[in-house]
Amino acid sequence: MRRREFLARGAAGLLALSPSLAPSLGRLRLTGSAPWLLVPMDDAQSDHLKAYGLTFRLLERGGRAEWFLNYRSGSFLLPADDAITRDAALNGITVEPLDDSRLVSIRGELQGGNMDAVPLEKAPKVAVYAPPNAAPWDDAVTMALNYAGIRFEKVWDPEVMGAKLKTYDWLHLHHEDFTGQYSKFFLNYAGSPWLVDMVDRNRAMARQLGYPSVPALKRAVAVTIAEYVQRGGFLFAMCTATETLDLALAADNVDIAASYADGTPMDADASQRMRWNEALAFQGATLELNPTIPVYSDIDGHQVNSPDRRQPLGSFTLFNFSAKIDPVATMLVQNHRQVIPDFYGLTTSFTRKTLKPSVTVLADEPGAPWVKYIHGEHGEGTWTFFGGHDPEDPQHQIGDVPTDLSLHPHSPGYRLILNNVLFPAAKKKELKT
Amino acid sequence: MNRAWWLAAVLLAPLPLAAQQDSAMARAFELERRGNYSQAVDAYRAVLVARPADASALLGLERALTPLGRETDILPQVRAALAVLNPSPTTGAIFGVALRAWAAAGAPDSLRSVAERWAAMAPGDETPYREWGAAALAERDRAAARQAYTTARQELHRDDALAAEMAQLDFADGDFAGSLREWLPAVRRVSGYRTSAVSMLTQAPDSLRQALLSQLGHEHDLPARRLEANLRARWGDPLGALESLQAALPADTALAVEALRGLADQLRTVPGRDGRQALGRALEQIADRTREPERSRTRLEAARAYTAAGQRDAARRMLTGIADDRGAPGTIAAGASATLIQVLIGDGKLDEASKRLAEHRSDMAVDDYTSLERRLVRAYIQAGDLAHADSLVAGDSTVEGLALAGRLRLYRGDIAGAIARFKAAGPFAGEREEATERTALLAMLQPIEADTVLPLGQALLALARGDTARAVTGLDKVGGELPPDKGGAEIHLMAGRLAAAIGKPADAERMFKAADVQTAPGTAPAAELALAELLLDQRRPAEAVAQLEHLILTYPSSALVPQARRRLDEARGGVPQT
Repeated sequence: MRRREFLARGAAGLLALSPSLAPSLGRLRLTGSAPWLLVPMDDAQSDHLKAYGLTFRLLERGGRAEWFLNYRSGSFLLPADDAITRDAALNGITVEPLDDSRLVSIRGELQGGNMDAVPLEKAPKVAVYAPPNAAPWDDAVTMALNYAGIRFEKVWDPEVMGAKLKTYDWLHLHHEDFTGQYSKFFLNYAGSPWLVDMVDRNRAMARQLGYPSVPALKRAVAVTIAEYVQRGGFLFAMCTATETLDLALAADNVDIAASYADGTPMDADASQRMRWNEALAFQGATLELNPTIPVYSDIDGHQVNSPDRRQPLGSFTLFNFSAKIDPVATMLVQNHRQVIPDFYGLTTSFTRKTLKPSVTVLADEPGAPWVKYIHGEHGEGTWTFFGGHDPEDPQHQIGDVPTDLSLHPHSPGYRLILNNVLFPAAKKKELKT
Repeated sequence: MNRAWWLAAVLLAPLPLAAQQDSAMARAFELERRGNYSQAVDAYRAVLVARPADASALLGLERALTPLGRETDILPQVRAALAVLNPSPTTGAIFGVALRAWAAAGAPDSLRSVAERWAAMAPGDETPYREWGAAALAERDRAAARQAYTTARQELHRDDALAAEMAQLDFADGDFAGSLREWLPAVRRVSGYRTSAVSMLTQAPDSLRQALLSQLGHEHDLPARRLEANLRARWGDPLGALESLQAALPADTALAVEALRGLADQLRTVPGRDGRQALGRALEQIADRTREPERSRTRLEAARAYTAAGQRDAARRMLTGIADDRGAPGTIAAGASATLIQVLIGDGKLDEASKRLAEHRSDMAVDDYTSLERRLVRAYIQAGDLAHADSLVAGDSTVEGLALAGRLRLYRGDIAGAIARFKAAGPFAGEREEATERTALLAMLQPIEADTVLPLGQALLALARGDTARAVTGLDKVGGELPPDKGGAEIHLMAGRLAAAIGKPADAERMFKAADVQTAPGTAPAAELALAELLLDQRRPAEAVAQLEHLILTYPSSALVPQARRRLDEARGGVPQT
């Protein structure tokens, strides 16, 4: 009787100590004297990437969590129920049992330093924009989501144009070319089966949806995606999707596609006629007019496919933000490494000169004229652009073997991707940026 | 006193100008060697003031400026050198420096002008245009390089001028067909280009390879055939490679042998049976065109290649005569004997192999002899002739011999004797795979309490003889008769793995489940992992996932947990299948 009474009082005390988790605690079966689990995200963590999946699945089950920004490299606080303990054991994720006194002590630390606790309430519904034949292993976000065990759905042009985007909280753009030029590989890879298939599918889709050309369809898709963000969606893009999305948006009544894509050459004065106010992140860029060079503009700092302009890879550094004043940016840069080796993509980086003043730079290469990781708002929603193709395959080539993330469970680059997936789960009223 | 003054006057007199210049050059070289590039630049410039067209000083200045990132600072000296330049053996070097300087300065008109001046001084020579192109390429200006090579063709009235350079440009542009078109005349002129041509064209994507081979098919001369043969070999068609070359082999023996040797060198790196067979045939053709002792040596190598390809008849044909030929060099005869014994073992002619081995024991190195002896023992085991195998092993006291003796004991059902010999042999005797397998066998045998289990020996002997189905039946029976913690579980696990390997998944599943018992905690995680992998192979992912989760949660400290997690990731689609 005395023991039962003690447990009941303890549980009530814990509810008071961790108010944001209180609603889910009622469903918990407490394990011994440790009602909470801390998922450390510093070097003590045995699988950083799967730790995000653990937290995501808890939210999917209706549970609640907290993200301890800047505490042990962005740790998570989860209730210690059987499902989480089992999930962590199965996936090899390090969790540390936490009792109430230790939790109080941690909260004290959070109060005193550049740290904060952000409640995570609802698992975002995730969509990945990708063509139906996209290789499952050729997109870093798809790989990260699959590895972490985060459920997502694939959408493509019919779903986007069919107004299905409004059913998702978070949208990732596969490395799509929204200028409709097939990544400008059309001439250099002429005859390659994968390119033939890509061209056929896109042309058929343009016909099906009633557009005169693939560039016209892709611009319409880009505009619809921008409207999705405007209405409050979260957008995350990598590689060439970042640059081409903005180019497509700004190409209002401007032909920026080579003749092989739409039957007419690019407007010679395209760079001057772009309407950058319609773009999300960039302005004042100069377009690459040569259809044989797989480069779109001077937005990309590294120009990987132009031998004359190609810049070597360095490393990029994550910025520090104030966790209490700027929690959004802080969430997006949670990591156990501050300096991360760079990696190429068709668009690797973003030149500083082409960034709009409103853009928040999350990571850059100090001293270089480019940045790597940027974020901004558009209407009610937000977008985040991350340059490069695959953080663990710095020089990814077409046909390369897929990256196996079980060999990179601590990848700091992939962590940045997963920060973006959990960020929409944060309680809205806490977001101040 | 007068003598002292005279000496002083001699010592203090200025050195002749040439000697001063040599000294200044030596000082400049030394500064450059020490990495003091700034002072080296000054020193070289000082030399060039007196001798503007001194090629050594100009080249030194270029070398010293490059690490300082000041390549274009050489332009005043270049202009001065060109102003006084007359034809001489060093003219080319000075023009080369000038071309690189103008290229670095981004001055294409000056670049072209210097190249044209050089070409006018060296009519009919490709070098000015080659250097012009190289200078442009150093600045990553492929268009300018192409212009240089095209100009060369126009001015020299030769369509094949600078073909190798043009081929490399086409390659850099991803134009493999164009690159091949250029490489052909280049290789015809200078056969040494073939290596570069092959290494570049090899990189053509799969989709273009057939077209390139068709393009080559229209050419019928030896250089084209050799190029085709090299490419086919690199692209995994070694037999096709040999056929291509054979079709164009010249009557001239030396030329034919040179071509065959070139291909044979490449075929040595091609893995697989086809590669070995093609190598054997190429070597046989070389042997047919050469004299002793080269002929015997080559036939022996051909025999080895044929043996590796599994073509024993061809191998025997090569070896016939060499082994018994007293006139053949000793090492070749010994090598032929060893190869012939391998062939005889492969043919199952064990007694004949044994007889030859005994006869040639004195001709062979000890290592070669013992290696052949062990192969013979294994062959006798496979034939079920344990008595002969025993007699051969009896005299072998090496660790490898002990390991083989342990197996013979095991096949006779003598568990205690096998364990004792395996332990004496240690964990490293023999090849890595064999050592690993023996260690696994030892782990399976050690829990067994009985000294003798004849059915287990018979089952394992059946396995050694290739009768896996019989081995599975025997092991399953023995596993059922022994308690799980006294070897039964381990034997069931082994039986299950064998059953899975021969396509009996239902039997394998039953046996893995029999091995998965809590009283054998050392075996149960391995049985569960094996069962999960079987279920995955049978496309029953949900059951596999449940099995893997059970393994991880029930045996969290098992060394197999990381592997189980990996398979779990694969089953869920979290990582690529391996």
